[in-house]
Amino acid sequence: MPRTWHRWIPAAAAPVAIGAVVLGGVFATSASADPADKTPQQVLELAASSTVDTFSGTIEQSSNLGLPDVSGLGGSSDSGSSSDSSDGSDLSSALELLTASHTLRVYVDGPEQSRVQILDDMAERDAIRNGDDLWLYDSSDSTAVHSTLPADASTAPDASAESLTPAELATRFLDAVDPSTDVTIGDPVTVAGRSAYDLILTPDSSTTLVSSVEIAVDADTGLPLSVDVFAQGTSDPAFHVAFTSLSLDTPSADLFDFTPPAGTDVTEKALPNRDDAPAEGSATPDAGTHPEPIVTGTGWDTIVELPASTDPSSLTDSPMLSQLTTSVDGGHVLQTTLLTVLITDDGRVLAGAVPVESLQAAAGK
Amino acid sequence: MSSSDPRASGLNARRTTRSLGAGFFASELAVLFRRRRTWAMLLALAAVPILIAVAVRISSSGSSGRGPAFIDSITQNGLFVGIAGLTIAIPLFLPLTVGVVAGDSIAGEANTATLRYLLVSPVGRIRLLVVKYLAAVVFCLAAALTLSIAGILIGIALFPVGPVTLLSGDTVGIGDSLVRSLLIALYATVSLLGLSAVGLFISTLTDAPVGAMAATVVLSIVAQVLDSLSQTEWLHPWLFSHYWLGFADLLRQPIEWSSFGQNALLQLGYVVVFGALAYGRFSSKDILS
Amino acid sequence: MIDGSVAGSTGPAHASGLAIETTALTKRFGRQTVVDDLALSVPRGSVFGFLGPNGSGKTTTIRMLLGLAQASDGEISVLGERMPQRLGSVLPRVGALIEGPGFYPFLSGSANLRRLDSADGFAPNGTRSARVSRALDTVGLGHAADKKVRAYSLGMKQRLGIANALLAPRDLIVLDEPTNGLDPQGTREVRSLIRSLADEGTTVFVSSHLLAEIEQMCTHAAVMRAGKLVAQGTLDELRSAGTTRVIVTTPDADAAARVLRTLGLDPGHPDAPGPAVTATLSESIEPEDIVAALVAAGVRVRGFAVDHASLEDLFVALTGEGFDVVQ
Ligand SMILES: Nc1ncnc2c1ncn2[C@@H]1O[C@H](COP(=O)(O)OP(=O)(O)OP(=O)(O)O)[C@@H](O)[C@H]1O
Ligand SMILES: [Mg+2]
Repeated sequence: MPRTWHRWIPAAAAPVAIGAVVLGGVFATSASADPADKTPQQVLELAASSTVDTFSGTIEQSSNLGLPDVSGLGGSSDSGSSSDSSDGSDLSSALELLTASHTLRVYVDGPEQSRVQILDDMAERDAIRNGDDLWLYDSSDSTAVHSTLPADASTAPDASAESLTPAELATRFLDAVDPSTDVTIGDPVTVAGRSAYDLILTPDSSTTLVSSVEIAVDADTGLPLSVDVFAQGTSDPAFHVAFTSLSLDTPSADLFDFTPPAGTDVTEKALPNRDDAPAEGSATPDAGTHPEPIVTGTGWDTIVELPASTDPSSLTDSPMLSQLTTSVDGGHVLQTTLLTVLITDDGRVLAGAVPVESLQAAAGK
Repeated sequence: MSSSDPRASGLNARRTTRSLGAGFFASELAVLFRRRRTWAMLLALAAVPILIAVAVRISSSGSSGRGPAFIDSITQNGLFVGIAGLTIAIPLFLPLTVGVVAGDSIAGEANTATLRYLLVSPVGRIRLLVVKYLAAVVFCLAAALTLSIAGILIGIALFPVGPVTLLSGDTVGIGDSLVRSLLIALYATVSLLGLSAVGLFISTLTDAPVGAMAATVVLSIVAQVLDSLSQTEWLHPWLFSHYWLGFADLLRQPIEWSSFGQNALLQLGYVVVFGALAYGRFSSKDILS
Repeated sequence: MIDGSVAGSTGPAHASGLAIETTALTKRFGRQTVVDDLALSVPRGSVFGFLGPNGSGKTTTIRMLLGLAQASDGEISVLGERMPQRLGSVLPRVGALIEGPGFYPFLSGSANLRRLDSADGFAPNGTRSARVSRALDTVGLGHAADKKVRAYSLGMKQRLGIANALLAPRDLIVLDEPTNGLDPQGTREVRSLIRSLADEGTTVFVSSHLLAEIEQMCTHAAVMRAGKLVAQGTLDELRSAGTTRVIVTTPDADAAARVLRTLGLDPGHPDAPGPAVTATLSESIEPEDIVAALVAAGVRVRGFAVDHASLEDLFVALTGEGFDVVQ
């Protein structure tokens, strides 16, 4: 209808306008003032000197490790009433952390008070530290674990939940910066609305699976705002964690004052050493930095080895694991873009950001 | 038809300026809520939490271990029944009723041949679209509130009522929990704005209301299926159903508002795009029904 | 038969200008041209009959006049303003019944009227109920005002549709087949209603196939055929385009026929039963001369009538005898 074509102008313009707003938002944020030039060394120092220990924010974390999505698989193995159900759910929640993406909220007020919330669909997992009290709460099954920290262990158990924050993770990478790492500075970036230096760590090693690690260091405070770990041969980060919003205000004290709600299953757990603290493997997605008994190699080529568990078959017989692993000489291997895990036939577990051959060699030693 | 004196003076006075349409909006609401169909749909929605509560009450031997944890928690606190009802109703029942109202909006008028009389009244095509859309929004709100209120009432009747445990493990009082229930109903209303706009547009495409209703409902199901497929992950944030279950964020401590905001923004995008499409179609359409 | 039955043949107030004017109005549905190059001129104050066989494009034309359908081509002006550009200021002054009434079956008659009245941005809220009950009384539905339209009969719905057109004072009333479904009483009432509207100066544009009805109430008429306008003007103008017949009622039919033939006419037998002879009157002969000649020849004349062509004859002549609907 020639006379009325102009009535369709709004319909044509609306998507364009929305596209402009969406893209414009991207442009607008990238247009924030660039921070002053700094050398890589200066940025490293800035990050090291960061004193921010009171903040709250929202964190997005996602992984692209080349693993299948096992969330459905985990559920079915749970309800399948397998004999080793606790192992199965441990494993599936560990894998869930590795494969799914998460949104977290963190509230930190000094080293003594913190709260991390993993926002699941229709559920939430909380880790609250208030002085000597450590609470883990899981709303999906209304369970809580309570531990009391020994008076002298002021920093140890923070590993549980805070290792998911960019700051904690970045510190681990930055602590590990050694001569085997090239440190450069990329173009300034904007993370959570703040301008930041883009610190790029490139391993000098040829055997590691890690191609580079990018850390956004807040230009103002030196607080790491995001960490992206890139694997060899991929352009998307294999692991990504970043603040989507950040406030440096002191969070409300109520948040750290946790009393388990009525009807909750509360387990008291002693804390003999730091390994037992993180319940249900809910701790570290980056298993490469997992606490370990045996460490071989250095820098990017580090390999960790867990001694044989009491019943090796419980691991290898798990239907989920047999789906994920492939059989190799001397055991089963779980290969991700960033991390290789070898489960030897005698039940030892070796892991590292290295090709499987290196693990096999280490296992053979 | 005694054509005695149809021009009695006072009755023939006309407004000199055109009214904004508040009267017509009121009339639209009256038509919507005078239909037995509307009440049947609201009653059906109210039945959802009531059935859940009764079923749980009868078989309250313990937790089933399946389904959302809400369903289990209603035995401990009746105030959860409304939320449980909304959770169950959001994927299908709510889109169904909203699809009926939005799909019927223009096509239904065409079908009863009232559309041409409204237009020569003249109501103005844009004004008709806006009023129809607003009426659909009012229905969304009524539907969500019906679910909430029916749930809360049956919950109070059948289960103990007390402070409510949030997902974060914190506990809030009854007043706070009622406010959150209201917020969740609002969230559900906002969630349905996009679907209402889609339904309005589809309704301008046809004179067969049943077809427009069915198409709208089918689209809401397609959107949810796409939202659950990992192959279409890139599309997920753009699907109008993407944040439908995000109201759980209102049950955290502190309230996580970002999903409310993102949801509202996404729905606004749908309203703008499909509102413009509906305008394009309806304002250039020949009314031949 | 028809003489003198045209109501107020010129109307009381032939206000200047035209109530409806179209130029080159055309409507195409796909490749079918449904209204073709239409040039209507409806004088203000007239009662305008819009005639045409089924499917000739009357309703389509009315839809375009009221801005419901977009013209494919051509210009429309209604009450002196361009349509559909000035739709917002024109339509409040126009009442319409288009291709049958349309109402919400689940609402009562008066609730339906209130709803449609509230859609008119210029209709004051305060007098709504009074105007609705006045309109209902006008069409004789006062007693059924609170009945659901679902329970209305065909004719009651039709009356309600007319009531809707009368909700507010109008300058133009467009009625598409207003007497459809009405009983004889209702038909007469519609006729008198239209006449009284015309007496007040309202222009009435009424489409119909009931020619007798049009003849009784219209001052002007237009005839459509397959989307084209084939005739338009005052009823007298239209009739004069047709023929006039004489009808002689007599037992001496053969003798009468002979006399007529000697006068140069071409007598035949009328369709009507009974002894009669008819012939088309030519302009050179006056009717009284025929009577004189018949009487002089001893024909027993029992009746003599001069019959102007009825609109029906004209209609059939213009639109063809066939029963098939065009397309
Ligand atoms: N929606 C449509 N799509 C295609 N053609 C149509 C449509 N509506 C009407 N027509 C065609 O337009 C022509 C005119 O129809 P219209 O309704 O104007 O006739 P009408 O003169 O009002 O007939 P009636 O006396 O039967 O009411 C018909 O041939 C009809 O088939
Ligand atoms: Mg018609």
